[in-house]
Amino acid sequence: MHFSEDDLREALKRKDPGEGFTQRTMARVNQARVNQARVNQARAEGTAPPATKKVNGKFLAWWTLRPAWTVVVAAVLLLACGIGGYQYSEYRHAEEMRIARAKQQQLQQEAERARDQAIMALEIARAKLNHVLQHAQLQAEPSDKVRRQRL
Amino acid sequence: MEQTAAFEDDRLKLALNLAVKGDGQAFEDLVREHQGMVFSIAYHFLQDRSLAEDLAQEVFLELFQTLDRIQSPAHLTYWLRRVTANRCIDQGRKKHRRREMALEEAPEPVASSPSADPMLLERLQQGLATLPEKQRLVVIMRFQEGLGPAEIAEVLEMPVNTVKSTLHRSLAELRKGLARKIREVRYAFF
Repeated sequence: MHFSEDDLREALKRKDPGEGFTQRTMARVNQARVNQARVNQARAEGTAPPATKKVNGKFLAWWTLRPAWTVVVAAVLLLACGIGGYQYSEYRHAEEMRIARAKQQQLQQEAERARDQAIMALEIARAKLNHVLQHAQLQAEPSDKVRRQRL
Repeated sequence: MEQTAAFEDDRLKLALNLAVKGDGQAFEDLVREHQGMVFSIAYHFLQDRSLAEDLAQEVFLELFQTLDRIQSPAHLTYWLRRVTANRCIDQGRKKHRRREMALEEAPEPVASSPSADPMLLERLQQGLATLPEKQRLVVIMRFQEGLGPAEIAEVLEMPVNTVKSTLHRSLAELRKGLARKIREVRYAFF
């Protein structure tokens, strides 16, 4: 089954909204007119609250009419979030590295201090041992004076 | 013929001037003159008579509130088409009608001429209801209102080339949808 442009025209030809449409529309319009007149009168008398300015109306209409802009704004926000997130992760990584380096340096300093103390302790121990050894040798070998007295 | 058109234009111009000055009868004449166009765009887009009527009434209400900005009958027609199209899109987004509507849901029967195939017209309307919003509007503006690509581009705020490609794609989709439907019917029978 194929269709021609005339078929499409026929399918989409204008339709009558039916009896009473004009009257119903005019009733709504008149109601709006009456309401507006009432508001104007009340405003003139100073009894009505000041008309609130519709801040978002136009913007929202613009928003709904241009979904492409929505996509663009969303993409820009996403990009900004991505860049921000990346920079934050980079900053955190750098900070962690700095802390790790400082810790390593501290450990190294402590190790060097411990090594120096160990060396010093060994020096002291060596000196004491030498001293004890000398005493022991002296006691083991009788002095020449004593030997001579014995003879 | 030209005389009639000129007379009609003068009549509308007069009605518009009077309506701007607050003449209710003149505004009613304007509504009566354009109600078929506004209602039909809404009806073909939404495929729902009560929603279309409500939308058309809202469009005329908005017209009443912004009547002082309308400069000429041609501007009025353009304004009505544009506002109706925008409201149709808004309404479509609110209701997600395109997804809700099944292909089998038949719209109201069309008052077709004896030469037209009523089944084909029905299938075309069903196929139209399955098209995306912008494509649907382009097809309606082209075949209901008889607008050219440049005029459609102006009303729907699209580049002319996009209108042309959208129209081409829409017709291809309608043809494809119609062929698929027929295959399904054949399969069901045999």
